[in-house]
Amino acid sequence: MTDLHVDNLSVTYGGPAPVRAVDDVSFTVAPGECLGIMGESGSGKSTLAKALLGLVDEAEVKGAMSLGDVDLTALDEDTWRSVRWRRIALSFQSTTALNPVLRVGDQIAEPLEIHLEMKGREAARRAGELLDEVGLSAEHASRYPNELSGGQRRLALLAMALACNPEVLLLDEPTVGLDPLTRAHVLDVLGRLRGAGRTAMVVLSHDADALELLADRALVLYRGWAAETGPAPMVLGRPRSPYAWALLNARPTLASVKDLRGIRGDAPNPTDVAAGCPFSGRCTQAVAECEDGRPPLVAPLGEDGSRLVSCVRGGLVELLAARGLRKTYRSRTGLVRSESVAAVDGIDLVVREGEAVGLVGATGAGKSTLASLLVGLLSPDEGTVVFEGMELGQAGGSALKAARRRLQMLFQDPYEALSARMTIAQAVREPLDVQKLGTGAERDVLVRSTLSAARLPADDAFLARHTHELSGGQLQRVALARALVLEPKLLIADEPVSMLDPSEQAKMIQLLKHLQVERGMAMIFVSHDLSVVLRVADRVVVIDGGKVVEEATGSEILVSPRHDVTRGLLAASGRDALFERASAAYLPLGV
Amino acid sequence: MRPGGHAPGRTAGTQRDQGPRRRAKRSFRMADGRRRGAAWRVGIYLVTLWAVVTVVFFLPRVMPGDPLTAIREANSPLNSEDRAILEAHYNLDQPLLTQYGLYLSGLARRDMGLTIGGGAPVGQLIWNRLPWTLLLMGTSLAVSSAIGFAAGVSAAWRRGGRVDRRLLTVMTVLHAVPEYVLATALLLLFVVRVPLFPSAGAATPFTQSYGQLYKLADVGYHLVLPATALTLGLLGTKFRLVRNTTISVLGQNYMVAARAKGVPERLLKRRHAGRNVLLPFLTVVGLQVAFAAGGSMFVETVFQYPGMASLMLPAIENLDFPLMEACFVMLAILVLTANLIVDLTYARLDPRVRTE
Amino acid sequence: MTPLDDLSVAANSSTGTRTRSLGWVGLVIIATLVVLALLAPWIRRYRPETISWDFLQGPSWRHPLGTNRIGQDLASQMIEGARSSLLVAVLAGGGTVVIGASVGLIAGWRRGWVDLVVMRVVDVFLATPRWPLLILIGLYAGRDLLVVAAVIALLFWPGPARTLRSQVLSLRRRAHLKAAVGFGAGTVHMLRRHIVPEVGLILVAQFLSAMGRAIMLEAGLAFMGIGDPSRTSWGSIMRDAGDYSGLIYSNAYLWWMVPPMLAIIFTLLALTFVGMAVEQRINPRLARHHTGRA
Repeated sequence: MTDLHVDNLSVTYGGPAPVRAVDDVSFTVAPGECLGIMGESGSGKSTLAKALLGLVDEAEVKGAMSLGDVDLTALDEDTWRSVRWRRIALSFQSTTALNPVLRVGDQIAEPLEIHLEMKGREAARRAGELLDEVGLSAEHASRYPNELSGGQRRLALLAMALACNPEVLLLDEPTVGLDPLTRAHVLDVLGRLRGAGRTAMVVLSHDADALELLADRALVLYRGWAAETGPAPMVLGRPRSPYAWALLNARPTLASVKDLRGIRGDAPNPTDVAAGCPFSGRCTQAVAECEDGRPPLVAPLGEDGSRLVSCVRGGLVELLAARGLRKTYRSRTGLVRSESVAAVDGIDLVVREGEAVGLVGATGAGKSTLASLLVGLLSPDEGTVVFEGMELGQAGGSALKAARRRLQMLFQDPYEALSARMTIAQAVREPLDVQKLGTGAERDVLVRSTLSAARLPADDAFLARHTHELSGGQLQRVALARALVLEPKLLIADEPVSMLDPSEQAKMIQLLKHLQVERGMAMIFVSHDLSVVLRVADRVVVIDGGKVVEEATGSEILVSPRHDVTRGLLAASGRDALFERASAAYLPLGV
Repeated sequence: MRPGGHAPGRTAGTQRDQGPRRRAKRSFRMADGRRRGAAWRVGIYLVTLWAVVTVVFFLPRVMPGDPLTAIREANSPLNSEDRAILEAHYNLDQPLLTQYGLYLSGLARRDMGLTIGGGAPVGQLIWNRLPWTLLLMGTSLAVSSAIGFAAGVSAAWRRGGRVDRRLLTVMTVLHAVPEYVLATALLLLFVVRVPLFPSAGAATPFTQSYGQLYKLADVGYHLVLPATALTLGLLGTKFRLVRNTTISVLGQNYMVAARAKGVPERLLKRRHAGRNVLLPFLTVVGLQVAFAAGGSMFVETVFQYPGMASLMLPAIENLDFPLMEACFVMLAILVLTANLIVDLTYARLDPRVRTE
Repeated sequence: MTPLDDLSVAANSSTGTRTRSLGWVGLVIIATLVVLALLAPWIRRYRPETISWDFLQGPSWRHPLGTNRIGQDLASQMIEGARSSLLVAVLAGGGTVVIGASVGLIAGWRRGWVDLVVMRVVDVFLATPRWPLLILIGLYAGRDLLVVAAVIALLFWPGPARTLRSQVLSLRRRAHLKAAVGFGAGTVHMLRRHIVPEVGLILVAQFLSAMGRAIMLEAGLAFMGIGDPSRTSWGSIMRDAGDYSGLIYSNAYLWWMVPPMLAIIFTLLALTFVGMAVEQRINPRLARHHTGRA
């Protein structure tokens, strides 16, 4: 059998400012197998595809590529020519890959004539069949590219790639820009091809849904560098590298209610070749070591190694981990007898770096107690809360004070949370004074910039106001500014919008989500209102009776709730009216 | 850039139409990018021809000076009676518009009148000289096209290489040398310094008794230097256009795709790149016909080649209205016909031009 | 625009540097000519038209480029020729670009029927043999150098006009121009702030090529004997030399015929070099290696 092996492949475009388009990438694909390479535009997908066809002669190629026992890196142009299309073919993404002055059929027949030594008429007949196979018809063969629609041209390119029945089929964005029906058809054609078991397929795409459907294994590329690789359901379903998580977390699904935010920051300039991890500038969990050379591929913390991530911190780290938390209140029912009520009854909760977790449950479900336990305002009867590797219950003194700085809380009622005696300036500055951070002047600057970030005025007049002079929405934003002024890693927001009127609520939710993403904070958003939580949360945890009853992404909660409590909450949010009848027809979504 | 060197309106199609189109009749992209049918295009050329005829007719007549003074009085002044007779003979006594009408109707009957200088039929004179100009222009256009295309594609193919750099240098210099300088240099080199070629004429006189083959070789021999001068003059523009077009074509996705398909280099060059370069090249060849017509006037003068220049320049000098006008009209027809042929060929070769 | 893979970053910097240094060489040549032309009355030792008994002399200390058949100092004539060439280059080149740019700007900006009419006229011009027409008009309009310059400008404006028009049309499609129109900018503001700065370098390139063409045409006319008879031009020196039947029997052509030829060639080359450098500024891609896209 002929496997395609790629080992430590790097492709660098030279020039005054070199660009490393592919950066030390390794993978293997066997016949009948499909590797999905996921990456945004500029991730190096196209260069990788061209390198596999020996078409990057203006770039420096390092590393090894082999097909079966043929060493592809050692081929000269003539031998390459016999490998191209015959053994490795590429379905181009751009329809400009069709020569505008040649008929489509002739372009499909061309490799047949060159590689399979078919004669004109036979090749033309086969070209017609190929067009038929991909869902066009033989009459399209006599057309020129500009006489076909964009989708039809894409199908013609696919037919062209299939012409010689290649051992390796590379597909560059096979589904992008196609209408849903054509896309489904293309996926169907590719699925059948994979099922036939003869072809090794490499799908290069940013269409995660298509990759989930087609790929056995997946590789996530960022700036030419493999951020994560492993079985497709793991990598695409539960990514563990910061980049893959951030990318997949930002993708829309049919049932996205969440405010979608892109990955914070901008991709680095392609000519800036980072010494360390290329993603470190945008990563929420970057540390100094990230700059020390390229991170090796390692199994993420707590996994066996079926997937690998390239991260010095071993993939997304747990910012906060609560284990077996239990808190019981005793209420006196008589003089002697007392009844104990478990408000939090054995809860495990993990919040990863940069993640927004929604904590939802009915009143009295134990949400607020849990929130207080997590910040350390209450101490648990049992269990531990570990924040940034430090157990909060055990810590004391300066360590705890430092931890508090990175773990802030936003309360339901800003009137209570802010002292009526203080001016706005004093209130927002208070945490800095407490923590003794910076000089007085620096604190003032930080206060103003944080107020601006919270979309509040930062002029002297505003700073001198008192809380009673502000509206509820403004006041909650002042409270937010006070929580953010210490630049926390985790913000626990307890019903932060429930006191606000709908318009202020909408503004506050957007602001929170925006600041959470841009500042690279994680957030626990506690609310009884599922419709609000779904807007904010990457992951939703449903609590009832002090226990976690369901944990899933927002889309899953919305479309396929598993627990009765969840269904109840959804019904209360008016979801049934929207989905009840429709759901039968459309389930399962997201496939 | 030289007159012929402007990038044409129908440059390599970067615009691509979206959406399916049914096969349709030919049409043309005008200078403003509009698409029109063939009839429209022919109409444009006819209007152009009419405009040239009109300009050529009125311009000398509204300027000071008249042919009778210039030609007939050069030796001895005409008396008023003779003058009146001559004016009547050449219709010079008629109102300008009447003359114009008479001239147009003459042209329609393919009658271009008589020269004022000698009273000879203009058509006959042109018939004697035009073939030489056609021979010179045709040879030069053909040779410069062949060399320019081949050299341009080769240079672009090995871009930045030794061949490319040398060709680029030579062609840039050639591009900066006017034909008359080239022609003079060739004359000095190959007639004066090293007398290899004849200095004047298009054929050796009094060779009627020799065979056809000899005559043919003799004509070719006389053609070498003038044709070389004009060819070199036309070459630079073509080379640069072909090279730049090829470079941009080589950067196109379809070229990468063709290479990915394992298409051998010969077919890559010919089938995939060649046709895409050919189209803008064709347009420039068409525009160069006008330029070649001008250049050929210079070259003919330097080599005393018996083409149109030997008719036209004295005619202009002497204000010989009928002859002068006829020369211009013939050149205009030549250029316009060439452009029309280019347009029609273009539409045949480029599937993108066929639309609604 | 394009993802990383498609960036043409693999630039061949040596080609770019070479074009730039050639541009400087061209500028130096042109500057030298300008200085010579401006300082001519103080540099030359003879008036170019002065006849003397020292005819057909070879180069000597008194006559660095020798003399012609009627004893005129050829060095002085060459300098006088540079003055003619530069004058016609600036006037005709400038005229061509001013007319062409204005017409192109208006056609591209106004579009509609204005554009339609203008482009038809351009079509007519481009399909006409303009060289013979230039001879004809030049002859009748008068042989004065200024008239020749004007006629050149009147005949050759359609080239720049078409280039400018297509630039303006493509600029109009850009978002920031649409945005400026969107917030109510008037035509004058748009042209001055957005269009003209964008096409500035293109105008310079057009001006350079128009200058080259004007020099070539003027010298050509003079060479054919239909230039300005009151002025010495490189073309007229060539013509005088060519008319002298004894030229080919001596070495006289070396100092009589060859210098004006070289002068024309080097001036045109210099303009081409500067033009190439400007073009590279406009379109840096031309100086780079391509990288294929996929």
